Amino acid sequence: MDLFLQQLANGLVIGSTYAVVAIGFALAFTVLRVINFAHPDIFMVGMFAGLLAGVQTPWLGFLVTLVAGAVGAGAVGFALERGVIAPLRGRDVLMTLIGTLGVGIILQNGMAVIVGPDPVAYPALIPRRFVDIGPVSLTMRQLANFAVCLLLLTGVSFYVRGTTWGRATRAIAERPEVAAAFGVNVARICQFTILLASMMAGLAAVSVGVLYGSAHAFIGLLYGLKAFICMLVAGNRYFEGVMVVGLAIGVIEALVTGYLSSSLRDAAAFFILIGVLYFRPNGLFGSYAS
Amino acid sequence: MSALLAIEDLSVSYGVVPAVRNVSLEIEKGELRVILGANGAGKTTILKALLGLLRAKSGRIAFEGGQDLLQLKPHEIHRLGIAWVPEGRQLWNTLTVLDNLRLGGFGDMDKAAVERRIKEMLERFPRLGERRHQVAGSLSGGEQQMVAIARALVAAPKLLLMDEPSLGLAPLVVRDVFALVEEINGMGISILMVEQNAHQALRVASWVYLLENGEIVESGPAREIGSKERVREVFLGGHA
Repeated sequence: MDLFLQQLANGLVIGSTYAVVAIGFALAFTVLRVINFAHPDIFMVGMFAGLLAGVQTPWLGFLVTLVAGAVGAGAVGFALERGVIAPLRGRDVLMTLIGTLGVGIILQNGMAVIVGPDPVAYPALIPRRFVDIGPVSLTMRQLANFAVCLLLLTGVSFYVRGTTWGRATRAIAERPEVAAAFGVNVARICQFTILLASMMAGLAAVSVGVLYGSAHAFIGLLYGLKAFICMLVAGNRYFEGVMVVGLAIGVIEALVTGYLSSSLRDAAAFFILIGVLYFRPNGLFGSYAS
Repeated sequence: MSALLAIEDLSVSYGVVPAVRNVSLEIEKGELRVILGANGAGKTTILKALLGLLRAKSGRIAFEGGQDLLQLKPHEIHRLGIAWVPEGRQLWNTLTVLDNLRLGGFGDMDKAAVERRIKEMLERFPRLGERRHQVAGSLSGGEQQMVAIARALVAAPKLLLMDEPSLGLAPLVVRDVFALVEEINGMGISILMVEQNAHQALRVASWVYLLENGEIVESGPAREIGSKERVREVFLGGHA
């Protein structure tokens, strides 16, 4: 039972990061009808922006590093929307997919040229100390990572349900034409959506960098793949559904690692995806018609 | 006095296929005019061009004698005081009734006025008041039509565009919807409606345009148009 609880906690930590990155994918896909394959690399840029701030100003601490990650990722996300997504909006979905994939490749390899292809040490902004919660033992860094992601997920849920712009975001996701006819500036909301998703990814990335103590130019691949699977498994109708699936996939991976084998961990998400696509091709929580 | 809305020589195409050809029509303040036409005649295309949702090939649409609507974006057109009741309701089905109404007033900066109008709508339609926290997709067709109309009225429009408000509704509900249309027009809101239900449309309209294959082939007072042989045969099943 202790192993189960420990793996459950570990899974929630990793799953919360999947959920944040997956929400970024889902926001772009539902609101802009864009599969933003640069999103995982914006996550990576946020991680390095935080690293830079953490190295240059270690006395300013974790919060300032988070802000730097959000600003760095947000700036790249904004430039991506202005330079690639907006000019291609309304055209075939493959065009934006290829455009964002190209930007992603440039970001990955550009960063690899700057910092090298190997992992770079992340400043130890949070002590490695363990905290015992009953039979579960988590590090301070795990708790910080989980807290940041949970705050982001709660915040985005409040945004889409409790604010005027959030309601407009959902309105565009469901019926963009009607939303425009009722006074919603669709282009403005699209810009903000990419900015928001990118800043969230940047914040989560910094907490992941601190958690593992390293940053890597190709780290976006791992999180991007899992997050994309989360969106496909959940469907894009409910953002909260994407969050739940992100957390669930994290937990399932941790349980597979704990009870079966760590080498099967990454396969678990793909098995889930295949099962869901077979039985519920629109995702567990349904999808908007494209 | 200039018309509230004046469409001049509007042409719209889907690719190379013309959908609307040289349509001209106008509506005065407080009037209720109807565009009558069969499926595919181009009725919805005219409304969508007017709302900025479709790019016109040529023409001009003046609202209150001012700027050409064809040069504006949809949200800018909405701000001028034009609201839409789309064909098939097209509510945001995953949002609550209340959220649908709130989005009706999205473009209005005076949020207190929006909330006041929402309250008025919920009082005017008590069934919606009871179901305001329910998602719109769970309502019946008639209730959804009420939400669609209330959503448009929350925008406090000067001109209401109604796209086949009777479509897919039971006959008793259709009667209620047209009674509501008359009531809204009685409040001084101008209405441009496109319809296939000629019986009801001819009863409530002051002026009717007959649209065939994207062109206006007849126009005139509703009573006069209703008595034309062509209209009686095509739209009224041979009855006056």
